Amino acid sequence: MTLPDLQALLFYAVAVLTGLCAIGVVVTQNIVRSAAWLLFTLGGVAGIFFFLGADFVGATQLIVYVGGTLVLVVFGVMLTAQGPFISLRTGAAEWAMSLVVGLLLFGVLAVTVAHKETWASGRAPAEKQKPMVIAEDPDSSPNSVLIGHGFLGQPIGPNKTAYLLPFEIVSVHLLVVLIGAAYLARAKRRRGAAANAADVR
Amino acid sequence: MSLTEFHEHPGLYFVAATLLPLGSFVLLLLASAVRAFIRPYQEERGGDVVTPPRWPAFVATGAIALAFVLCLVASFDFFSDHHKLQDAEEAVRTAPPAEKEAKEHEAEKLAQQTEERWNGHWTWLSLSMGGRVLQLGYHIDHLSVIMFLMVTLIATLIHIYSIGYMGDELQPMVEDHQVHTADGHLRRRGRFGRFFLFLSLFCFSMLNLVLADNFFQVFISWELVGLCSYLLIGFYYERRSASTAANKAFITNRVGDAGFILGLLIIFAYFGTFNFQDVFAQVRSPFEDAHSHENKKTLERGGEIVRAEWHTTEEGKRLLQVSERGTGGEVVLFPAKPVMDGVGTAGQTVPLRAGARKPERDYGTIPYWMLVVAGLGIFLGCVGKSAQFPLHVWLPDAMEGPTPVSALIHAATMVAAGVYLVGRVFPLFTPEARLTIAYTGGITLFVAATIALVMTDIKKVLAYSTVSQLGYMMLALGVGGWVAGLFHLITHAFFKALLFLGSGSVIYGCHHEQEMTRMGGLYPKMKITALTMLAGVLAIAGIPFFSGWYSKDAILAQALGYVMAHKQHGLLFLLPLATAGITTFYMFRMWFMTFTGEPRDQHVHEHAHESPWLMTVPLIILAMFSIGVAWAWPVLGALEQHIHHAQPLAVQADFGSLEAGSSEAERWPGGVRIGLPERQNAQAYHELAGWVATGIVLVSIIFASLVYWRRYQVLDPAETKEQFPRLYAFLVHKWYFDELYSAILVRPALVVAQAARWFDAVVIDGIANGLGRAGVLLSRWDGIFDARIIDGLVNVMADACYSLGGRLRAVQTGSLRSYILFLALAAVAIFVVLTYFVTRALAG
Amino acid sequence: MPLMFAESELPETGLTPYLILGALLFVCGVVCMATKRNAIGVLMGVELVLNGANVNFVAFAAFNPAFQLEGQIFSLFVIVLAAAEAAVALAIVLNFYNNHMTVDVDTAEELKG
Repeated sequence: MTLPDLQALLFYAVAVLTGLCAIGVVVTQNIVRSAAWLLFTLGGVAGIFFFLGADFVGATQLIVYVGGTLVLVVFGVMLTAQGPFISLRTGAAEWAMSLVVGLLLFGVLAVTVAHKETWASGRAPAEKQKPMVIAEDPDSSPNSVLIGHGFLGQPIGPNKTAYLLPFEIVSVHLLVVLIGAAYLARAKRRRGAAANAADVR
Repeated sequence: MSLTEFHEHPGLYFVAATLLPLGSFVLLLLASAVRAFIRPYQEERGGDVVTPPRWPAFVATGAIALAFVLCLVASFDFFSDHHKLQDAEEAVRTAPPAEKEAKEHEAEKLAQQTEERWNGHWTWLSLSMGGRVLQLGYHIDHLSVIMFLMVTLIATLIHIYSIGYMGDELQPMVEDHQVHTADGHLRRRGRFGRFFLFLSLFCFSMLNLVLADNFFQVFISWELVGLCSYLLIGFYYERRSASTAANKAFITNRVGDAGFILGLLIIFAYFGTFNFQDVFAQVRSPFEDAHSHENKKTLERGGEIVRAEWHTTEEGKRLLQVSERGTGGEVVLFPAKPVMDGVGTAGQTVPLRAGARKPERDYGTIPYWMLVVAGLGIFLGCVGKSAQFPLHVWLPDAMEGPTPVSALIHAATMVAAGVYLVGRVFPLFTPEARLTIAYTGGITLFVAATIALVMTDIKKVLAYSTVSQLGYMMLALGVGGWVAGLFHLITHAFFKALLFLGSGSVIYGCHHEQEMTRMGGLYPKMKITALTMLAGVLAIAGIPFFSGWYSKDAILAQALGYVMAHKQHGLLFLLPLATAGITTFYMFRMWFMTFTGEPRDQHVHEHAHESPWLMTVPLIILAMFSIGVAWAWPVLGALEQHIHHAQPLAVQADFGSLEAGSSEAERWPGGVRIGLPERQNAQAYHELAGWVATGIVLVSIIFASLVYWRRYQVLDPAETKEQFPRLYAFLVHKWYFDELYSAILVRPALVVAQAARWFDAVVIDGIANGLGRAGVLLSRWDGIFDARIIDGLVNVMADACYSLGGRLRAVQTGSLRSYILFLALAAVAIFVVLTYFVTRALAG
Repeated sequence: MPLMFAESELPETGLTPYLILGALLFVCGVVCMATKRNAIGVLMGVELVLNGANVNFVAFAAFNPAFQLEGQIFSLFVIVLAAAEAAVALAIVLNFYNNHMTVDVDTAEELKG
């Protein structure tokens, strides 16, 4: 078995697993289990990123999503999961409708993907081109270096683009979100809500 | 405009003199507007009716007097200019052959300068048609100068006179005894200012008429004086007779003006200009064609209207060839600026140019009959304005106006404007037109004089006398007595103004009594009026050495000369001759009836008094002029000579009233040419005509004094009246002109108007009412349709929307999950649709 | 293990499987959002949708040499924004929970027409 064959095999394995985990997220009734399936899905996507040579993105995916966002979600589950609310059942009709719509959407997307050669007229199909080698040395981690330089304002890549300004904007955005989330989630004890909470307890 | 401008173009003095009364008019108009605004408040506060102020009279009088002074000053300048010109011409004649050319050059240069000094114009309107322009301009010649002096002088005197005569109007409330209302006589505000306002406007218009150098400006002034006449005849408009008379004057004049405007249209269409000099230069042949000085060629038909005929050559080319005198369907229009190759000999080809004609440079044509129509049209305007037969009916009625107005407008100036215009445009008249003018004048003078014989209203007598005298002037112009006609215009203006003012003085003195049958024996009561009027009577009668004698003699001599040359037109001498006697008779009848004998009405006699000095001083001045204006022309020499300078060469070309060997004949560019059909020699008959006329006049005076002064029983007027009742009725009814017009014009017009009214009321209104009713019916149906169907449709749609909205509400579930589903569905749908169409589009 | 393949070792699988995977993740996210009554579940659906999009970004970038880095950086931003979004969404969910004492999104139908 040659290396490419092995690689394809691995890819298909990871891809199928990721898709199954995603379906698991949907079909699981228990929210906590859903969160677990989501964890696997996100990890699988990180793997896909590695297969595509986007090592930095994959790493970020693992760190931020798996390590951060998912923890946040789990915290949310824990904060709200009180007995009957853990699994809220959905009606069969709704399931059916959602499935139909989902299948339709998937069908449309799949058909579109199948015809991707016709997307950009006059340009050679993307598949026929080989990915460009960014760095000569395969052992190095050029993506991280390049992207890091890009975020610090150095023009990178074939298009010579610098990303300092978007980086700064995202930073500020995160700060704002941080403050906003803290503000929204802070323990407000309005009279009615407090009374309700007291009753429940 | 600086003073130097005035110095270089002294003609502007006359322009200034024209504009002064306009300034006065504008000032008075503004003042009256202001007064009209504040009067209600004044009266509310003061409670009393405000007294009209006196100052408008001073403004108007000051303006016209200043205008007179300006004219006088400028006329000295003018006469000295022309003396220089004459001297230069004299020098050319007497110069030895060697120096002749240099002198000629000098004289031409001087003539050019004089022309520039006394003429000017400004573009008023540019017309889009062929770059033609309407101009405002002034043209000063001897005639304008004399007319200016006459108009401003008489107007000034009449203004002064009016301050006295119109004194009644200074009361806050005037009682008009001739208008009866439910509670006695009409009481109205005094109209002192308004009178002078109108007078100022009139003076401006009249002076502008004299000043104008083109037809259009004349026409504007023509209508303006007509308007002033209308306004002043209707000054006492509460009197039915006055308002009717004003309407009559205005409408009658419209008939004439229709002809005038027709003439103007023809002139502008064919000549391309309104300017007098340009038009005349086109219609009358030049005397020489403009070769160089050495070989100037004298043209055979200099100054004449040259007629031509179309001929076709053997090659089929159409040529315009000059035809024999008196024949030819076309009239040659000469270039306004003479060019080489003038035409004049019969058979000569007129060098017409193809394409648009430039009146300054090219020859042109006008159909002969068109020129006749243009001349007759303009003359018709003059007939209306100068109250000639058959449009004379308005002038006697115009005596409803205040007497100073009758003197100024309806005797001295405006009615003479028609005569003036005939004189001005004389070169335009063809022989047919001239004959029409002569006969119109002849008929008018006789008809009016016979009517004047039986009139008892003192102003009516004078009015008919005016018509008759204007007829004399027209006759004179028609038979070639250009100088005589205009000469008579000037002398008549003075003595007729005097007579009217005198009659006004009598009327004023007799407390507005106008009937001569209630006067008599007034001489001791008003000596100044009587004596000055006697001077006027003697002047109009033609007593030797009074001004009227000179002018009337000239006319009679001219008529006799013409009749001698054309025996078939004998009436043109017999009528004025007979009328000279009739005139004398009725004028003396008037004077005797008014001032001599026993008083016919004691009441009137007792209250009669002499007028104030404001009125008698103008009388005295006018009397002096009436006596001496012909021979002691105050500026220089004899009046007739001055008018003679202004005579257009066309008069001599057409009538050739020149004596061989006289200085005038020598001055005549084409040389003496006697023997043409219309040519005659009036000078030869001067003495004969003079003697005959004087004889008739003396006989008439004796006759009149026997009848009306000595009152011989044999010749009692009342008995004469009874002896010829038909004749008397005929005359008293003014030859039944009013009745005739009423029968053939007014009544048919009324009948037509009635029919039109019936048609209006029944048919037009019926249609309109029917349409209206149909509209109402239709609207009712439409209302139902609206309410049921349109509203119904709208309501149905609204209801549909409402229920649809109600159903669609359900879609807005508020449920997050269903929204997401719909979103996904929408995405799918858009995708499918887009793909479908894009594929189709790509495939197609 | 080298993270980057040499030129000769590039995956021969082509772009299509990646795109199909992205589409699957996307559709799963949509269906998840549509079926979960739990607000946290909806949030998970959103994460799935974003991941599907990210897979597409990176895959396109890898197979289009002209935009290799741009795609990656875009997906980085998406990840960061997803984190931010998750934080805010959880804050909202907590508030909702405080007010309604439940996380059932079907109870939040104040916008019903």
